[in-house]
Amino acid sequence: MNLFAAYHPLIDLLLLNCGCAFGQYIVLRAGAFSIANAGLTSLGAYTAGILATQYGAGLGTTLLCSTLIGLVVAILLSLPLARLRGVYQAIATLAFVQIVLTLALYAEGLTGGALGLNAIPKLVGTPTLLIFVVVVFYVMAALDRTRLGQAFDAIRQDEIVAATLGVRVVSTQMVAFALSGLISGLFGGLIALHTYSIDPNQFGFPMLVSLLAMVVLGGRRSIYGPIVGATILTLLPEIARPLSDNRTLIHGMLLILIIVFLPKGVVDSLRGLSLRKPKARQQQRVAGDVPSA
Amino acid sequence: MLAQQILNGLVIGAVYSLFALGFNLIFGVHRILNLAHGGVVMVGAFAGLYAVLAGLPIWVAFIAAALAAGLLSVLIDFVAFRPLRRRGEMEFAALVSSIGADMVLTTLAQRWSNTQVMRFPFDAFPISSFTVFGLRMTTMQLSILGVVAAVSVLLFVYLYGTSFGRQVRATAENDRAARLLGVNVTAVYFQTFFISGVLAGLTGVLLGLAFNHVYFLMGEPLLLKGFVVLILGGLGSLKGALVAGFLLGVIQAICTAYLPNGLSDPVVYGLLFVIILLRPSGLFGDTVHNVRAVRQ
Repeated sequence: MNLFAAYHPLIDLLLLNCGCAFGQYIVLRAGAFSIANAGLTSLGAYTAGILATQYGAGLGTTLLCSTLIGLVVAILLSLPLARLRGVYQAIATLAFVQIVLTLALYAEGLTGGALGLNAIPKLVGTPTLLIFVVVVFYVMAALDRTRLGQAFDAIRQDEIVAATLGVRVVSTQMVAFALSGLISGLFGGLIALHTYSIDPNQFGFPMLVSLLAMVVLGGRRSIYGPIVGATILTLLPEIARPLSDNRTLIHGMLLILIIVFLPKGVVDSLRGLSLRKPKARQQQRVAGDVPSA
Repeated sequence: MLAQQILNGLVIGAVYSLFALGFNLIFGVHRILNLAHGGVVMVGAFAGLYAVLAGLPIWVAFIAAALAAGLLSVLIDFVAFRPLRRRGEMEFAALVSSIGADMVLTTLAQRWSNTQVMRFPFDAFPISSFTVFGLRMTTMQLSILGVVAAVSVLLFVYLYGTSFGRQVRATAENDRAARLLGVNVTAVYFQTFFISGVLAGLTGVLLGLAFNHVYFLMGEPLLLKGFVVLILGGLGSLKGALVAGFLLGVIQAICTAYLPNGLSDPVVYGLLFVIILLRPSGLFGDTVHNVRAVRQ
């Protein structure tokens, strides 16, 4: 129990990061180069913050509204975005994040400008966060077994092959965008209701990069990928205290090392190893069979 | 008043153009969105600043910055991109590793500079102003325009007038075919990264001098503005980058002058968004670019 008390804030942070990483994971899994999640999360957070501070809305209403905002904006974004190819999606979503952040800085009356929103009531504790992470994880796990999950994988691996197999690339990616917006909006709301205050800088380039790092590190295929990635990147600075000063340096080097040496991420690479072994044995057996036959 | 704003916009636009030329050279040849380019610009500015602080004349500082940034750019290629080139799935992987490289550069620069804004010494560049046709100009603005004009003429002569340039363009079109025709593709990769770095280094020093502001995060806003230029002009099109840089500079100057404070950035990024949706191949893109950009 003491252990829990000592590491309580860390666990909350870990849960929030896991949720946000799932928002990033779902688009990357579908082969979309979206990095809009920092923007969608900030929309959710600001919705929740404004509703909770200025209108005194309760937990349910606030979270529902921030989830809906994330979902609606993501669907609107996906209408044009899903038609664009790789790099263009990345640039357009980067522009979206910048638009959201500069507007948050500009609309001081509503968002508090650079100072952000403060004194947001803390309506969310560890149990609530845990429940939402488990729910999102369950949805992802369920998705894994459906045709939609397979369609995501097909598009990510080879878009042209996916299209010839009858996968509707544009509408499938739109579903991924919508899911990503839903998760990002929800966890944006949870961030606002958990951390007392939010400001635009917290959702800028650093957040975008760390979300990307979590998913790339963990893996884009397996549903355990974002959890493992978020856990490693959240705990690493805590385990090695001297390293925490160099957090961004380590993030940067990890990104390069992982994409060069473990391009599939930690989980997918490990899983690939365990899957390859029986296959290799099978191939040996087949190879052994051939001469005798 | 309007003419003055347009002039100021053209000067800033020239810096954007220089940045976008280097960025687009890499995209055109390698299909890599090199997000570390902003970091290379920043390192160029640092190198130029330290050269000036060491007592070297300003033109030596320009050369030092260009060389330092060029070598750094080649180094980034070796560390972050070359291992990926042997595998497929280049696009996403290169995007991620270039973000990583940018983070490493900015963090090291932050430590180096103790998170402080550094400035060129007051007499680093002789500034005097004069009036032409009722427009106020400084020697600084004039030399920015001059450097950018000279560098872009050199770049275009190199790419479209020499045998090396033909090899670069052949590699950009199809690297496998170029290799079969006897082009030393590795040398082309080396050259493009070096030239792109040189352009970034010059951008850095010009930017540092123009705003007298050398900061470890100075590449980041430039990178975001650079994206607007790239999309306006068309990804991979050097002509487009040159024209769109000036265009963005003018648009931004007019927005800053006539719109309420703080609204100019949303307008600029909104413009990027609208263009990427309506005409993703850019102002100078053709059907080939269009097919690369949009799913049919």
